[in-house]
Amino acid sequence: MRAGPGARNKGAGGARSREVTIGGAVSLGQRWVEDMATNKGRRIRIAVDIGGTFTDGVAEETPGNRIWVAKRLTTPEDPGIATAEVTVELLHQIAAPQEDARAAERVVEVVHGTTLVTNTIIERNGAKCGLVVTKGTRDVVDIRREVRYDLYDLNLKLPDPVVPTRHRFEIDERMDAQGGELKALNEAEVKKALAALKKQGVEAIAICLLHAYVNDAHEKRIKELLRDQLPGMYVSISSEVAREIREYERMSTTTLNTYVQPLMSRYLAELEGRMRAIKVGAPLRIMVSSGGFTSSAAAAEVPISLLESGPAGGVLSAVNTALEAGISDVLAFDMGGTTAKACVSTGGEPAVAHSFEAGRVHRFKKGSGLPVLIPSIDLIEIGAGGGSIAHISQLGLLNVGPQSSGAVPGPACYAQGGKDATVTDADLILGFLDAENFLGGEMKLDTGLAEKALDRLAKRLKMGPTEVAWGISNLVNENMAAAARVHIAEKGLDPRKFTMVATGGAGPVHVVEVASKLQIKHVLCTIAAGAGSCLGLLAAPARVDRSFSKVELLQEVNWNEVKSVLDALYREANTELSAAGARGERINWTIGVEVRYAGQGNTVQVVLPYRNIEPALGKTLVAKFEERYAQLYGQTVPGGTPQVVTWRLTGRSAVKSRGFKWAVDRWSGKGSTRPIARRRMFLPGKGDYGVVPVYERYALPPGTRLKGPCVLQERESTVVVPRPAAVEILKDLTVAVELR
Amino acid sequence: MAPTPIDPITLEILWSRLVAIVDEAAAAFVRTAFSSLVQEANDYAVVLTDSAGRSLAQSSLSIPSFLGTLPRTVRHLLKIFPLESLRPGDVLLTNIPWMGTGHLPDVNMVVPVFRRGRAIAFAAVTSHMPDIGGRMWNAGNRELYEEGLQIPPLKLMDAGKANDTAIAFLRQNVRVPDQMMGDLWGQLTCCHTLSEGVHKMIIDTGVDFDLFGAELRRRSEAAMRAAIRALADGAYATRFECDVGLPEPIVIACKVIVRGGALHIDYTGTTGQLPCSVNSVTSYTYAYSCYGVKSLLSPEVPNNDGSTRPITIFAPEGTVLNPRYPAACSTCGLAGHLLPPAIMRALAPALPGRVLAAPGSPQCSFMVTGEKNARPFAMLNFVSGGMGAGPVQDGPSPMSFPSNLANTPIELIETATPLRVLERSKRRGTGGRGRRRGGDGQRLAFTLTGPSPAVVSFLMSRRRRAAPGLLGGGPGGQGRLRINGRDVDSARHWPLAPGDTVLIETPAGGGYGHRRRARRAAEEP
Repeated sequence: MRAGPGARNKGAGGARSREVTIGGAVSLGQRWVEDMATNKGRRIRIAVDIGGTFTDGVAEETPGNRIWVAKRLTTPEDPGIATAEVTVELLHQIAAPQEDARAAERVVEVVHGTTLVTNTIIERNGAKCGLVVTKGTRDVVDIRREVRYDLYDLNLKLPDPVVPTRHRFEIDERMDAQGGELKALNEAEVKKALAALKKQGVEAIAICLLHAYVNDAHEKRIKELLRDQLPGMYVSISSEVAREIREYERMSTTTLNTYVQPLMSRYLAELEGRMRAIKVGAPLRIMVSSGGFTSSAAAAEVPISLLESGPAGGVLSAVNTALEAGISDVLAFDMGGTTAKACVSTGGEPAVAHSFEAGRVHRFKKGSGLPVLIPSIDLIEIGAGGGSIAHISQLGLLNVGPQSSGAVPGPACYAQGGKDATVTDADLILGFLDAENFLGGEMKLDTGLAEKALDRLAKRLKMGPTEVAWGISNLVNENMAAAARVHIAEKGLDPRKFTMVATGGAGPVHVVEVASKLQIKHVLCTIAAGAGSCLGLLAAPARVDRSFSKVELLQEVNWNEVKSVLDALYREANTELSAAGARGERINWTIGVEVRYAGQGNTVQVVLPYRNIEPALGKTLVAKFEERYAQLYGQTVPGGTPQVVTWRLTGRSAVKSRGFKWAVDRWSGKGSTRPIARRRMFLPGKGDYGVVPVYERYALPPGTRLKGPCVLQERESTVVVPRPAAVEILKDLTVAVELR
Repeated sequence: MAPTPIDPITLEILWSRLVAIVDEAAAAFVRTAFSSLVQEANDYAVVLTDSAGRSLAQSSLSIPSFLGTLPRTVRHLLKIFPLESLRPGDVLLTNIPWMGTGHLPDVNMVVPVFRRGRAIAFAAVTSHMPDIGGRMWNAGNRELYEEGLQIPPLKLMDAGKANDTAIAFLRQNVRVPDQMMGDLWGQLTCCHTLSEGVHKMIIDTGVDFDLFGAELRRRSEAAMRAAIRALADGAYATRFECDVGLPEPIVIACKVIVRGGALHIDYTGTTGQLPCSVNSVTSYTYAYSCYGVKSLLSPEVPNNDGSTRPITIFAPEGTVLNPRYPAACSTCGLAGHLLPPAIMRALAPALPGRVLAAPGSPQCSFMVTGEKNARPFAMLNFVSGGMGAGPVQDGPSPMSFPSNLANTPIELIETATPLRVLERSKRRGTGGRGRRRGGDGQRLAFTLTGPSPAVVSFLMSRRRRAAPGLLGGGPGGQGRLRINGRDVDSARHWPLAPGDTVLIETPAGGGYGHRRRARRAAEEP
């Protein structure tokens, strides 16, 4: 669950309200308007995002790009309830003033993001499922990779496989590494295994055979047999879910897909029913981990691809904000109560990774979860949030996180019984937060309790309370900067060329200092983080991914075979994209080829347009590979022989930025550029407190220019600029900070 | 007490920064490495030392032994190439086991980090090469000379200029020269990345590395001493036996003496140096001893010269834990892996709530060389046994311990070699009984497909003597090695003809505690 104030900032209870247009913002969505102008009438698109605490919704009407927002508590026992309610509420908001009883009919699309898949895996309440494997590999999911994710933990906890041994069946069949059939499928044995699984009462069956990534014939045949013998049984085959080499990782992905499939299929079918019931006949699109959306039918087939559906929406929202400001290279930075997340995005496209982990036993320990081979927005997550607890390590040094005080008891200053000093307590003492204006003043913070908690630490460290408060804030910034630095370096990129876009309750408080550590000069703070993911869902392109592995030296590639496999994948993918509503738009098709020097383990991805798969492509590939390799590692390998491992086909509709027009209750409209107060705040450059002006963020009209150090207050967060900087309010009320 | 030169917040910030810099360099290396051991098995380490060769920070995901040996390697090289003689662009290299990690396949690279004309730190990396020439990796080797190419301490690059003579020698003496050179260039990229990170950090923070290192060491040492003081003073002794494919078992005599915040381990009485490759040189003995102590007493304290200062180790010269040059030592893990379980056994009376029963190790593995599609290949694969049970939980099965080496996926084995894997399974029910059960061993069966023959060699342990249980727990199941259904000697290499089938069964871990007591406890309301 993403419970607590921590997860994502969903604090915008008051955001359920009217729509108003902000002057000057009309032209922003012009491109989109033109795209849509060929259609008669006003069309409505709806985005709904289910989080751990809140289910958020945004409706957008085109032309005009006007937005309405709604929010409901998530209904965990039946998440579709809140989803439908939010939709009804949005339609009501649109319809009421216009007396338009037929608003539902104008809805052309509902885009949906959800954490259901992630939660099902974490909470282990998925389906009872079976697994059919090649003879001799039944224990692969138990044996895993035999490594310990923590060298010094003698009581290492491991995640249990989702299919217990008694539901795993071996079949005598075999392909070789080139895809040649060594042993035909023993169909009688298959039928027996399926009958046994049926008798055991499984709801879904995963099939994962050795080398199916290169020859899927046996898997497909078992699927056929299964369809005949057990109609209605859910089935996932590895060559369709994750057609990639490495049997443990592929098997893990396929079983996890099976594990969540019955639940998600039912959920999506019911949701479609609910939408029809409220007269919304528009197709349902689902946000997938890769940062695109797909049809509800495709999502029901491969629900594991929804694993990072929620965070992907947040990243897309940050990317959209930056694109609107004319910026395409972004480090999206989200900091909530428990964690901080970061994601690199270049050219308006978030980085996508092809392996991931689900259901970690230790949330922040790599390797403690179950591997999942799906394209997923490549974000890092560390235990650094407002609730992160400061403590003293065995070495007597100050440490912050990853333990968090959570929503209860929360930071000491929440006065709910929390005794530990947290990042929020430090931020309060440093003057970054205002005790009277937290969550718009709804929740008063207790400065005395924060001081007490910090004093305890200060005494043990034999340091002053200010030093400790700044130490906590600075340390959590360093931890985030360090994680971001490694993340960016792994991609061979230079952080200084990026703009940081901050979201989440604590993001705008810390972003300037983190940027400063990364030598990043430009920072943007988006509007209303509360509905951030939904804006991302509306801005998302349609996207489809397919892949297959075949390990071959580049000079020996059988181009006819590659062409025919890619063509087949293309036809399949194109059908899926059409179903996802991308019919009219221009689709950008690319192939991402995973190449390495023969003998290496890891690959480098080379991306090319998808056309003319022929021997001449080999030369282009080598050149591109060496260029990318040198960019990443400084040099190529003399005498190395390039080898292809995996081919990935991606279709994506064009990236369009959306200029959303925000509700006016977020902007007082008074157009005042005067500070509402002045307050004492810690200034890191000075190493001491100073007095800085405090502004009401939504009182500042677009075009306002301010100078840092200063503070911009808003309901869900506070933009803290503790250094000399130029601050500007952009047309869509995004705050832009340029550090000196 | 002298005034603290760096406060406890600044120190932590600097330290987090440094660890990230080392991890960034390690990531650069792992992704460029050719050896599947680096890629799939974390068989590498990256360390940053100060100008005296004392460890400052290390890569987070590496096997334990290297983290203990690499700073020593830097100090050995400094004796040969004194600090003042080094120039920017120098790249030092060696694989001599007594200076390096303990066996020849690990090649160690050390690069000085210069700032304003002075070497202020060293970037050091070690990794297991795909091949180092010589006879195959196996316990039957009698002398170091059989075990492959020895790289005496040399400059691979001298002030930025590549040493072509050395490179030609290296290339000529290994089976897969391109892969080896690829890994060496990867190591160099890693050292450069580390060096750049250090420069950036100094510019950003103005840190004085000597002061910083001294303070980190002081605090680590104090934490380790405090952890040792939590044990009752006294001498804890045990005798621990294991067969590793030799006619006689290896006996580890281990006496742990705890006194006044210091911990001394004396291995007097241990089996003498052997005329085969299982000998563990002192740095390897030291590294695994420290790992055992640290995982028991202070998992959270960083691994550096400070945290190991309160620990002293003695193994008489001429024993299997302190052999004389040129003893064969390529399979030093067969002795070294016995040390953490021996130490746990000795300390069981003092730490019954922490110790684990013996695991199904030393680590088993097999190496195959031959031809595939008219190209030579060499591949080393690890096959772990079950872990020992502890007071908290059953032993995981199978799991690499005390090393941390991953298996290679079946699909990768079959892509890179002409082997076909018939089975990879758990040996159910083989884990030692007890209040907590030991981890089960593993079964791996494979066959060679045509047309060319191949050669296979093995490291096998505990085929005759099971991993013992602890505090009343039962022993784990023994290991087994068969070719075409017949038990074979693991201490020699075997030619394989197409169609030959190999069966490896790894030993299981020992159980923990009396079973009956557990049952009685369960019956109580």
